[in-house]
Amino acid sequence: MTTSLHRLALRTAAHAALAFATLAASAPGFAQSAAEKLDALDKRITRLEDMNQIERLQRTYGYFVDKSQWTQLSHLFADDATLEIGGKGLFLGKPRVLEYMQTAFGPDGAKEGSLANHMQFQSIPDISADGKTGWIRSRAYVMSIGGWGLPLYENEYRKENGVWKISRLTGPFTMYTNWEGWGKNALNNTWPDKFDPPPDLPPSTVYLTYPAYYIVPFHYPNPVTGKAFAPDRGEVGAYAAPPGTPEQAESLKVGRLADGTQPIAEPPRK
Amino acid sequence: MKHFGCLSLIRSSSSRPAIEGLFLVMLAFSSATAMAQTSLEDRVAAYRERVARLEDQDAVENLQAMFGYYFDKGLWSEAADLFARNGSFEYGLSGVYIGQERIRRAMLLFGPQGLSQGYLNNHMQLQPIITVAPNGRAATGRWQGPVQLSEPGANGVWGVGIYENEYVKEGGVWKISKLHFYPTAFTDYDRGWARSLLPMKGPSALFPPDKPPTVVYRSMPGNYIPPFSFNHPVTGEPLKNLPQAADSVTGRK
Repeated sequence: MTTSLHRLALRTAAHAALAFATLAASAPGFAQSAAEKLDALDKRITRLEDMNQIERLQRTYGYFVDKSQWTQLSHLFADDATLEIGGKGLFLGKPRVLEYMQTAFGPDGAKEGSLANHMQFQSIPDISADGKTGWIRSRAYVMSIGGWGLPLYENEYRKENGVWKISRLTGPFTMYTNWEGWGKNALNNTWPDKFDPPPDLPPSTVYLTYPAYYIVPFHYPNPVTGKAFAPDRGEVGAYAAPPGTPEQAESLKVGRLADGTQPIAEPPRK
Repeated sequence: MKHFGCLSLIRSSSSRPAIEGLFLVMLAFSSATAMAQTSLEDRVAAYRERVARLEDQDAVENLQAMFGYYFDKGLWSEAADLFARNGSFEYGLSGVYIGQERIRRAMLLFGPQGLSQGYLNNHMQLQPIITVAPNGRAATGRWQGPVQLSEPGANGVWGVGIYENEYVKEGGVWKISKLHFYPTAFTDYDRGWARSLLPMKGPSALFPPDKPPTVVYRSMPGNYIPPFSFNHPVTGEPLKNLPQAADSVTGRK
């Protein structure tokens, strides 16, 4: 990608120079054209830099979680950011992000005898056409004193005065287990009053974790077909009971809003 | 956040003279458009720099990943070749080995060249935060390094740790100038962190290091935070003096 951009830079410059050489009389018009080409090039380079930068934000978030650096972590967020992790519900605003972390997980600074690695892998970054908004789907691979965990992320980022910040962190859980592993043990998803502090809003989406099944919607279309992911409204949801039972039929409605859609963790629509 | 969009020109690129020639043609034409021409040239120069830094970041990322694939399989010779002339290698509390030949031999402490049946030496290189210097000649990288170990006759071991490395571009080629792996916890595969904590090895008596460990710290149950090479991505402040866990052995409060 970067190499082809490099070639484009050279080509653009060459075209600009040739335009001047052959049609100097109408140079202003061609100068504009060359400038426009450079504008387009600038946009493409900026997009690559922006994708790198939001990945850097997400990875740094992981390094801060590993060592309970909550104050530093909160500074990664925009003032009006939202945070939703597991089934705990939505926290609104940067101060509440900090309060959530410090109340739920203790003060800044990793404790002796503790391990809480949230390793950040497999990111798929995207940037909006206007360059102001970004998204990442990625995962955390949790290796902690309590066992193993698999959160996903479908996060949103915003560029404010040239600086990228997390504007929405959405970390739905796939699976949590103790050291015995998921063959023997599976923990429930969290819920709003499982631990303090209580959220500002209830969960945007209700779903169950493994061994139940929930597909977190993708912020991007299939890169080959271009088709957006469409959840199967008849069958998608959390499988909480054996197939064919009334409990299971009911649970198929879990994992979406009352209108049948599966938003990516935005506050409920009015 | 820094885009390194400085206007200084790279003179080492082979395609540069051709472009400069074309710009001279441009400049020979109209003085009325001189400002526009200067602006175009400056912009192309700035974009070349930005693309070069993106390429540097990719190259450093690949270099460290390649180190990992060699190291996994005990290809010590190939791994040592990735270091700069005075490059250094430091693993936990084992001390510092300096130069390719010393590093090559020091790696034999992890097992024979190429390892053999019954060995597992996975050192994954993940979650990179790479910072390339504005001049494109040096870089730093922080990496997340989960570890999976086994050797004949021993039970498997899980590990976690952090790399804080430095890189240098010599003759247009990126090399490792400093590799420092801070393992922060090891445990028995079956027992896990809550019931088993394995200590780090100290400096070898068989093949002593060139220098003692640059940082003395305790792996889990200690909860050491390896220093950060990069600044906070939003505030831009250095990540220094972060709150650390107290350590009853080293006396850190």
